[in-house]
Amino acid sequence: MPFLNRVLTALALGSLMTTPFLYAAEISPTITVGTQEVGLAVGYILPHRLTEDHTTKQEGPAFMPSWMITITDPLGSSWYRGQVSIGAEMVYIQFQEPILTHGVGFTPKIKYSFVAGDRIRPYAEFAGGPFWSDLTGKIPEESGQFNFILSAGFGVSYFLTDQAALNVGYRFQHISNAGTSYPNIGLNASLPLVGFSFYF
Amino acid sequence: MGQLPSRSLIRISLAMALGLGAGCSHWIEFATPIETTPTTNTTVATDDRVPLLLETIRVTHNGSSIAPPALLERQVLGAIEATRLFSQHFQSGHSQPSADQARVTVHLSIDNVVEPHAGQAALRGFIIGASMFTLAPFISLNYDYATEMSLEMERWDGQIKQYHATSTGSAHYHLFGANPEIIEQLKGQVTEVCLSSLLNQVIQDSTFYLANKEQPPGGPIRTVSVGVRRSPSRAVPVSQPITEPFRQ
Repeated sequence: MPFLNRVLTALALGSLMTTPFLYAAEISPTITVGTQEVGLAVGYILPHRLTEDHTTKQEGPAFMPSWMITITDPLGSSWYRGQVSIGAEMVYIQFQEPILTHGVGFTPKIKYSFVAGDRIRPYAEFAGGPFWSDLTGKIPEESGQFNFILSAGFGVSYFLTDQAALNVGYRFQHISNAGTSYPNIGLNASLPLVGFSFYF
Repeated sequence: MGQLPSRSLIRISLAMALGLGAGCSHWIEFATPIETTPTTNTTVATDDRVPLLLETIRVTHNGSSIAPPALLERQVLGAIEATRLFSQHFQSGHSQPSADQARVTVHLSIDNVVEPHAGQAALRGFIIGASMFTLAPFISLNYDYATEMSLEMERWDGQIKQYHATSTGSAHYHLFGANPEIIEQLKGQVTEVCLSSLLNQVIQDSTFYLANKEQPPGGPIRTVSVGVRRSPSRAVPVSQPITEPFRQ
């Protein structure tokens, strides 16, 4: 945990220090069709044992570098006015509990960003894709190392400049193997996260 | 250990390169302007030309009025200037021609219609993502843009003529080929095509905008060729890769 705290603190401070602030000018990022976004999010997995069959309390930090591209102009004209972007995300989870193991996945991702606000923009996102872990062969819920990871969540982007934003969000995460082997009870978790994005 | 890659590896690499290449492609199509007019060039006496004052530009975007972008104002004034039909070019709010000077006053109205096919793009984007991007080279995204211009030109004696032109274009791109420049180029080129069509009509009425001055007897008459300066791509509005230069 001390190592994780150091990493998270360094990332948060680093993103703040390397991003130039604009105090005087109004920040209203113009994100158009074709605008790309690269980002990094870090969070911590907190388990949810939804049934009596769920016994594993998996925990650990998660790192998620991502790339996205905006594919629509703003939709709608009310509070829900927003843009759709799609992209992909790498997911790395270091499971520190119940045993030190690792997981890595690749997930296509779709995001809807609400653009009614100028520098504060809420978003909702959904991602899913293949996920490999050496944890899932060692716990009663899952039988194989090859699985799928699905996550759905929401968050808020706070634009520091027209091109850089800090993100805070929450995701619900589900890992299972889509019935390719049994047992397949699945792992569920909450993933609070912070991150930053750069738009170009 | 120095072994040549197997044929299957080469095939996979080629397929990936082709797929990625196709997934990055983009192109723009123009519909022929609804009110097409043949390109007109004529010669007018230099001294008969009068100044032009661009008094107002009104712009709407999908029905909503917006402030005319400075770039658009420059594009309009530049296109008019390039015809060489007028001796000087002024814009309201900047320097003005003298009050006693004969001049032509211009009011331009531009109605832009943008159809980004956002719902379709969102659905297709979802399908592309769900396919782990393997369908990216095969599914294209579309963006349509249309502009309608109305030009009112008032002569120094109060006579008014009105002109009208429309132009539409579509940008088609694959996911990895999407970038903001495609849309900007689409808008810029559609605007230019429409403006050219409009000014071509003005050139046909060029004598209407000339001051009737008597030439000094026996004196030399200097002339200037006036016409719309068109880029080659606008002569035949067809599908064309955006990577090819459009400028002359």
